[in-house]
Amino acid sequence: MKNRLKVLRAERNWTQSDLAKALDVSRQTINAIETGKFDPSLPLAFRAAKVFGLTIEQIFDDSEH
Amino acid sequence: MNDMASTTLAQRYKASKKSLFVWTLGWLLSLALFAFGPKFIWDFNVTISLCIIAVNVVFGYLMIIANKKYLDGLDELQRQLHLNAMAISLGVSMVFGAIYGLLEPARLLESTPSPSNILFLMGISYFISLVVNSRKYQ
Repeated sequence: MKNRLKVLRAERNWTQSDLAKALDVSRQTINAIETGKFDPSLPLAFRAAKVFGLTIEQIFDDSEH
Repeated sequence: MNDMASTTLAQRYKASKKSLFVWTLGWLLSLALFAFGPKFIWDFNVTISLCIIAVNVVFGYLMIIANKKYLDGLDELQRQLHLNAMAISLGVSMVFGAIYGLLEPARLLESTPSPSNILFLMGISYFISLVVNSRKYQ
């Protein structure tokens, strides 16, 4: 699943650790999501949307599937 | 769930790791005591042996609970890594455990198979699987 996590994070000048702390996950998990190796659960996707003040669809794109 | 909502991943990880370490150490020491105590310390006294078994079972129960709390406190990717490692470990132990148990009847092994070897295999396969899978997500 494609996502804009890395771009959104860069716009806010956050490190992976900053975002990991905000989402209560490990930095490894943020990296895996950003590189498309791991798809987050719905609760985690909602938390990401809340942190960035966007909708889930504005962050994650499943058009490939 | 309330615990998880009020603490951070790092706090949960630190607390559950410490708890898991303490109870695993307690379980291992009580197991070692039961393994060597009857012969070298209390001369096969049944009452003392039964007491040590009871202590070992209690420590084992607390270790299991601590391990469950440890897994509950992880994030979803970490939980998936552990689930994969458990699947590999269970499969490897089942396949090789079954064969290992049949080596002696087939006269391919002279000594009686020891269950502790299966525990060793489980631990090693779990650890290797966890490391290999973790590296995929680095």
